[in-house]
Amino acid sequence: MTAGKDRWLNWAGQAPLLTLVVLCVVTALMTNRFLSPLNLTNILVQSSIMAVIAMGMTFVIVGGGFDLSVGSTVALSGCVAGMVMLQSGILAGVVAGIAAGALVGLVNGVTVALLGVNPFITTLGTMVLVRGVVFLITGGAPVSGESGLPSAFVAFGSARFFGVHDLVWVPALLLIALSGLLHFTPYGRRIYATGGGREAAFLSGIPVERIIASTYIWCGALAGVAGVMLAARLQSGQPTAGEFYELTAIAAVVLGGASLQGGEGALYKSIIGVFIMIVLGNSLNLLNVDSYWQRVAVGAVIIAAAAADRLRSRS
Amino acid sequence: MTSASDAESLAGGAEHEAAAKVEGVRKRFGATAALDGVDFAVMPGEIHALVGENGAGKSTLVRILSGVYRPDQGRVTIGGQDCSFTSPHDAIASGVVTIPQELRLVPTLSVAENLALGDLPVRRVLGIPIVDRARLRADARAQLARFDFAPDPDRSVRHLGFAEQQIIAIAKALRLRCRVLILDEPTAALESPEITRLFAILARLKDQGTAIVYVSHRLEEIVALADRCTVLRDGRAAAVARRGEFSATDLVHAMTGRMEQDERVIVTTPGRVLLDTDSVRLHAGEIIGLAGLLGSGAGRVLQRLFGLAHPASVVRVDDEPRRLDRPLAAIDAGIGMVPPARELGLVMNLSVRENILLPSLGHLHRVGLINRRAGDRVVAELMDMLDIRPRRPGLKVSALSGGNQQKVIVAKWLARRVKVLLLDEPTQGIDVAAKSQIHALLRDFVARGGGVLLHSNELSELARSCDAVLAVRHGHITSRIDRADGLDEERLHAAIVT
Repeated sequence: MTAGKDRWLNWAGQAPLLTLVVLCVVTALMTNRFLSPLNLTNILVQSSIMAVIAMGMTFVIVGGGFDLSVGSTVALSGCVAGMVMLQSGILAGVVAGIAAGALVGLVNGVTVALLGVNPFITTLGTMVLVRGVVFLITGGAPVSGESGLPSAFVAFGSARFFGVHDLVWVPALLLIALSGLLHFTPYGRRIYATGGGREAAFLSGIPVERIIASTYIWCGALAGVAGVMLAARLQSGQPTAGEFYELTAIAAVVLGGASLQGGEGALYKSIIGVFIMIVLGNSLNLLNVDSYWQRVAVGAVIIAAAAADRLRSRS
Repeated sequence: MTSASDAESLAGGAEHEAAAKVEGVRKRFGATAALDGVDFAVMPGEIHALVGENGAGKSTLVRILSGVYRPDQGRVTIGGQDCSFTSPHDAIASGVVTIPQELRLVPTLSVAENLALGDLPVRRVLGIPIVDRARLRADARAQLARFDFAPDPDRSVRHLGFAEQQIIAIAKALRLRCRVLILDEPTAALESPEITRLFAILARLKDQGTAIVYVSHRLEEIVALADRCTVLRDGRAAAVARRGEFSATDLVHAMTGRMEQDERVIVTTPGRVLLDTDSVRLHAGEIIGLAGLLGSGAGRVLQRLFGLAHPASVVRVDDEPRRLDRPLAAIDAGIGMVPPARELGLVMNLSVRENILLPSLGHLHRVGLINRRAGDRVVAELMDMLDIRPRRPGLKVSALSGGNQQKVIVAKWLARRVKVLLLDEPTQGIDVAAKSQIHALLRDFVARGGGVLLHSNELSELARSCDAVLAVRHGHITSRIDRADGLDEERLHAAIVT
């Protein structure tokens, strides 16, 4: 009886995937433009950057935290990558961009885990602070140099590898590697343990502060990767980039079934959540729904997903 | 090394070296000294019980031994070596393993992962550490087999019952190589077959040379189990005694500095029917007990009456039919509930005053504003009546001891003037003195025309304090034993197992 119940619950856990499938089928039935190769490619590319951010967000949320600063971090990383790249080459720029993201994560992690400041307030603070820093270092102007960013870097934003957009490979490879990390390594299981029961984890000898701090570093570094990807796609570092990305990322993770209480969630599910968000926007566009109504619809979907999750866990 | 321990090791020799030793340890929290120069030692292969009233310093001492707190003064030695733990990890690394009172499991993780939490079996693939799931499962099965317990190792812990979770917690601690095992109230929620099983395991560990620190309020257990017993009072060791040299009464005497009062049941003549369901009839002036084995659903009988179960039951309360579909309906009908976990009965970060008045806010206002003076009067009266200490209504309820918190829960229903109190394990994990105060309080409540339904896993408690006891199996009442028919532990036990 008990094993059967667990299996049933696992089925219920696939609700996000079912939602995505239903969404795709309905849209495909309503407009034939949805399944066109161009549109599907578009969806994949649009999803790729958000998928990287959402994976980082999954680390933090599974660890029982929350990160509002990823949008600003995306802008910071893109601009830092661009500036360093113009001086010292592509590799240095990419590394610097990701490192800038990781640094923001470190600040968040130390403040939340070691000083015990509420994650919402901490990352609200860094969200504003980092955006300020971006404007300070760029003077508010896009970073692209006089002759633009190096062409090999810009090419990455549009080139294909084995017929698939380079940008799509990044989250695909990260998904495999990081899912392995979360699911199969002791470190990954400690994140779940810490998020699911901090006290229990602490008393089992797990260094919970360090684990929590590390989830913010992952989140910052992955937002950094996303920032670099976005810079390649936009062919410049944009100080205003990434606004509201934090909200989309958090919504996607929750849509994917992660619990904001911590201890539950999976990277692939968060990516399904990202697809739901992107496909929903895409289909509303294709169906010529007014953009103001699109916002209303997206907001309603987020609340509905969270409510469905509550109802499921109550039964 | 100080000269004192040198002298002792010279005198005693290595085989008499304590597995864990605490000397002159002091620990203050703000103005209160939780520990005021405690000495305590547990030898290898010894079960050393630690008793004391709530607030005597047991938990603080346990937390110092397990690395959660650091002492302000004094020294802790493990196996003769000075230790200053800065985290539970340090303590575990030194072989000091603690099973705390509130189970510390991760509800979202599986049984197997919880068992191995903090120490997952690992194999290396290309140098990367990977959790060895096959071994994880096999280990889990093997460990739980010792407890004759075979759940699906992949099942998440939140789907298990409390006693099952406790078995997991104990098995988890035993998995670590431990020199000193500390158990804080391990039997508070266990049934007697499980307790027997636990004691057998402790005996085996003791034979293997593990030092066991056993904290419990159940004094009969300690008399039967412990090789030595240290009684803490006001943050100091008030007495140490060897097996056979002390009785439960001695312990109470040492703990409180007074003799245990004989609780005499005053049989009151039952008044009008307060609560009438198809299975329970509760009169004014009556305390009726509910007894059942683990998983019998005795607690659920109470939950149903408090509107917490579906489908809602329709019940006659004080001769009026009431549909109890949610707690508010039950409260309006005059029913109050004292839940098994105190966190369920109290809003921990509100004050004692606010907690007491919580259910009555709707009745204490004038023109929409809370009548502060009337509220203060009610709170002051109840705090006096129930002897809630300290007598500070503004104090956060989380700062109170377990026994006093329990009284605050009762007080909030008295403030609401309920007619029926449902109590689910009200005395679990609280000390003897507070326990008897709660029983006295219930007697007083029914003497004023109230009725009480009391569920407890301690049959001795039911036998002592109830007018009648109902045996519960599978959520249904199977038999009733009245005091007139002779109410004792043996009869109760027979009633719940058959």
